[in-house]
Amino acid sequence: MIEEIVAVTLHAMVPLALTAIGEAFNEKAGVVNIGLEGILLLSSFMAVLGAEASKSWVVGILVALLTGALIGLSHGIISVYGKGDQTVSGIGINLFALGFVAYGIWVAWGTPGHHMASPAIVVPRLLTPIGPISWMVFVTIIMAFLVHFLLHKTVIGLRVKAVGENPEAADVAGVEVELVRLLACVFGATLAGLAGAFMSLDQMAMTTKELPAGRGFIALACVAFSGLEPLLALGAATLFGFFGALGLWINIIPYFKPWLKYGAYEFVHMIPYLTTLAVVSIAVGKRRFPKASGVPYRRE
Amino acid sequence: MNSELIVEMLSIRKVYPDGTVALRGVDFEVRKGEIHGLLGENGAGKTTLMKILSGLLPLTEGEIRIQGKPVQLRSTMEGLKAGIGIVHQHFALVPPFTALQNIFLGEEGGGPLSPLKLEEARKKVGSLIEKVGLKVPLDTPVESLPVGVQQRAEILKILYRNAEILILDEPTASLTPLEVDELFQILRALKKEGKTIVFITHKLKEVLEITDRITVLRNGKVTGKLPTKLATPDKLAVMMIGKKVVPGEIKKAKALGQPVLIVKDLVVKNDLDIPIVNGVSFKVRSGEIFGIAGVEGNGQSELVQAITGLRTIEKGEIRINGVEISRKNPVELYRMGLAHIPEDKRKLGLILDFDVAENSILGLHKEPKFSGRVGYLNWKKVYSYAIGLIERFGVITPSIMTNAKSLSGGNQQRLVAARELSKPSSLIVAAHPTRGLDVAATHYIRELLIEMRDVGKAVLLISADLDEVTLLSDRIAVMYEGKFIGLGRPSEFNRRDLGLMMGGVKAV
Amino acid sequence: MSSLTESFSKAVKPITEGVFAIGIGLFVGALLMLVWGFDPLRAYLELFRGAFFGKFQMATTLSYATPYILTGITFAIGQRAGLFNIGGEGQVYMGAIAAVAAGTYALPTSVHLLVTVIFSMLAGAAWALPPAVLKVTRGVHEVVSTVMLNWTCVFLCRYLAMGPLVDPNSAEKTISVLPSSRFPILLSGSELTAAIFASVVFAVVVYIILWHTAIGYEIRAVGLNPDAARYGGISPLRSTILAFMLGGFAAGLAGASQVIGRPPTWAIYGTLANITNLGFDGIAVALIGRNHPLGAIIAAIFFGGLYTGSRYMQMYARVPVEIVRALHGIIILAVAIPGLLDIIKKWWEKRRGK
Repeated sequence: MIEEIVAVTLHAMVPLALTAIGEAFNEKAGVVNIGLEGILLLSSFMAVLGAEASKSWVVGILVALLTGALIGLSHGIISVYGKGDQTVSGIGINLFALGFVAYGIWVAWGTPGHHMASPAIVVPRLLTPIGPISWMVFVTIIMAFLVHFLLHKTVIGLRVKAVGENPEAADVAGVEVELVRLLACVFGATLAGLAGAFMSLDQMAMTTKELPAGRGFIALACVAFSGLEPLLALGAATLFGFFGALGLWINIIPYFKPWLKYGAYEFVHMIPYLTTLAVVSIAVGKRRFPKASGVPYRRE
Repeated sequence: MNSELIVEMLSIRKVYPDGTVALRGVDFEVRKGEIHGLLGENGAGKTTLMKILSGLLPLTEGEIRIQGKPVQLRSTMEGLKAGIGIVHQHFALVPPFTALQNIFLGEEGGGPLSPLKLEEARKKVGSLIEKVGLKVPLDTPVESLPVGVQQRAEILKILYRNAEILILDEPTASLTPLEVDELFQILRALKKEGKTIVFITHKLKEVLEITDRITVLRNGKVTGKLPTKLATPDKLAVMMIGKKVVPGEIKKAKALGQPVLIVKDLVVKNDLDIPIVNGVSFKVRSGEIFGIAGVEGNGQSELVQAITGLRTIEKGEIRINGVEISRKNPVELYRMGLAHIPEDKRKLGLILDFDVAENSILGLHKEPKFSGRVGYLNWKKVYSYAIGLIERFGVITPSIMTNAKSLSGGNQQRLVAARELSKPSSLIVAAHPTRGLDVAATHYIRELLIEMRDVGKAVLLISADLDEVTLLSDRIAVMYEGKFIGLGRPSEFNRRDLGLMMGGVKAV
Repeated sequence: MSSLTESFSKAVKPITEGVFAIGIGLFVGALLMLVWGFDPLRAYLELFRGAFFGKFQMATTLSYATPYILTGITFAIGQRAGLFNIGGEGQVYMGAIAAVAAGTYALPTSVHLLVTVIFSMLAGAAWALPPAVLKVTRGVHEVVSTVMLNWTCVFLCRYLAMGPLVDPNSAEKTISVLPSSRFPILLSGSELTAAIFASVVFAVVVYIILWHTAIGYEIRAVGLNPDAARYGGISPLRSTILAFMLGGFAAGLAGASQVIGRPPTWAIYGTLANITNLGFDGIAVALIGRNHPLGAIIAAIFFGGLYTGSRYMQMYARVPVEIVRALHGIIILAVAIPGLLDIIKKWWEKRRGK
């Protein structure tokens, strides 16, 4: 049973972690994207569409990455160059995705609201001692370390952080503030696209009109909880994934049945959110969140 | 010392897009290896001139030559390529980064994905520190470093980029006397290394202490160029503020009444938590205009904020009509008889997206005459009040429902002045009341202030325009580094004295 | 120029923007339909016919609009105060739960409805208070805190709805509220109750507060220019809390309207389906209504019409109801366009200046 819990937790972690890591990166640069839920939804749909059209999950993943990148690009252009309101743009993405995917599923397959992905295009899993684990799990873990390295040990990471904390200083030092922010935004959204592909082509093997079920927002919680650090975000995602799995477990295992009446299932699910709220309320300091976050940069 | 010219700025003219002429044909030369002082009061054009030299601003007319070769400086990057680096008054540092990261940013060498070559940078910076004595801890976040050390990091930043000509804009503004001495030692060391330094300031003592030659600007023109050896505070003071006395009738004050505003030993901190008002005491009586002159940045803004309820008081006491005001918010002060024409009328005095009528009651919106006893706004009364205001003060607007942001700048300021001067007040605090206004409006506001005084109000006037202060005030004080350096009737001081005081030298 | 003309011309800009966004949405929706072989004109005709033509249709549209007016106001008031209150979702849930609790508790008929309404509004405001306080005392960004509370609320409500408040006879809903607590039905056979009046009255009250009271003046001032507001003696903290509370009242009432104002169930569904997404959709309503309570009324009726009419559109024009969701989303994106128009205008002026 332990192996099952671990396996479920790891798989639950992937979409949260990928999304959170990407978002942490662009939030470090000062761009907030609350349209993550929409990106997850859209890319999960597009992934299946692309995979079935080409009979290959590789293409499906690529299509999802492209979807994420394009949305990131538009959000970035609106927020960074257009100096638009980042929150409104993010909300717009979510609402657009909701409508588009619902409509798209109907039009593409004639089924209202969901479509099972054919086994031929589902991502194959690796056999490990604890059962079949998707190689995406490993990709995710590697990605966390990669982004951590990028952020703290490379030139682009330094510039990203500078641009998020004090864009004027970065500008004076010759950094192209807007370009860096745009690239960070595209990067974050692309990772979310990958997460969406994982959900529809691997974890759940289907596309529905509300597949992410709030994971985009949970990812935002992970980001807040982790103070924008990719490795911590990975940990937060694992934690959240664990609680999700725990919740499911409580529902199934007979031992816990008497507690269900008192809302054990629901309360377990609440824990990650309340914890995040507590963390964010208590640990609020200037360094937790970049000072210029969410604020468009205008050169005086 | 090598007397070859390293910087030549010829016939520089700068006109801003809105028509303001900042520089009217300035010739400015700097010799290699010297420390050159650029002296002037607010608006003289010294910062503008140096922003042009460093590539931040484009010039309208004129030519710049570096080491004899004409150059086009279209950005700070091009400025740095030409060897010119500028350290601004407000540092451009990323607070949570260490000094090393700040210096390194933008000049990392290598593509975006390459690892940070911090060790090489550290060595290079280390040798710079050695050579010049710029002691800076490289691995502490700059936000926890004292201001003087932060400034050194800024200097290191431009030295790291191989600047040969260093421009320092009012570098001693936020430094303690000890830090000023340390800075001067560094400047001398830099000079020994063959660097050229341009030192922008309004402080006479400093410019006499550290520079080799001085250029004085006034109103966008050069009014004096001389070797420091031949300069005296008197000469410089006159060059800085001119000999011309603005003609005007000094209207005799009527009967002086009780003190309305009493300030005692006031100490106020600025946003960087540094005391910027350092013990100021004065009284303003009803029926008098008390003017505070001085170059901006010497604590005037914070003094005004403390008096008008927008900044907390560190030490000392402020009393309006006998009542201590330390914890009161602006509305309580308005009810006590305060009117405040703020320094930044557009940003602070108005809500641009509100219309004229709504702006006319800002600060008064809770008054019973407008919102009754339950808080229900009687727009009819507000409208007639607003119409009265704009008619009396000549505010030009299509209607009182026009958004304030559609008004011209001058009319926006008239609106703010109108609102404040129409309040039933006993103390009027006017900060730079005619800044940006045309001649007619300026004259009108000045007449009004005198009228307020004649009617028995107490007026506290703060202005960087020395002429305005001397013209209108019954008593004046010059503020320098948070203190009053002279206090008395305008007739007691001549131009030279005032210039000296503004530059920090006590008049004899 | 007279003041009347001036205030009219000030209203023109936001109205145009709202209409423009709707127009773009309909246009892109038409394109989508064409691409997949449907007839957009027929579809829109049926859509509007199903939404507004006929007593029954209009009643359904209005019953859908009822909660949207309120959740639109929740977001709009926050915006006016310079904040992003996206906690409407959770506040609606709490209001609904409170309505069930109060509505199933026997009280004299003369006061039952009123008490239930007040209880729900208080519940919504209570849920809005923590983010407000956290923002004011610890500077916690309200987007994070409201989203966290929304999710907490989802689970809390699921537990309450399927646990203590569940209907013993039908496990798929909570107990229905007593008739004495219900809003009177306006058109028998339809889902429309007098709750619509409560909504509209609330919107009008909010309008009056914002533009005709000193408190509303302060809220708007803080939202537009906090520094100048301080100069005017206005406390940003007080305005923030007030704006959140008012938004909470609105959302609480919206939640209640789905329970004591929605025949034939008069309860919360086990899946929470009749209270889900009301908060979120309210944001769309607020954006189209340009953050004005009266605009919210119009936008809410429009969205209500969209959903009602979509059934007709499916029946008679064979276009799936999902297109309405797509339209919805496109319209929201189009709302960002007025901002874009401004940007394009500024860029154009800059080029001319050079």
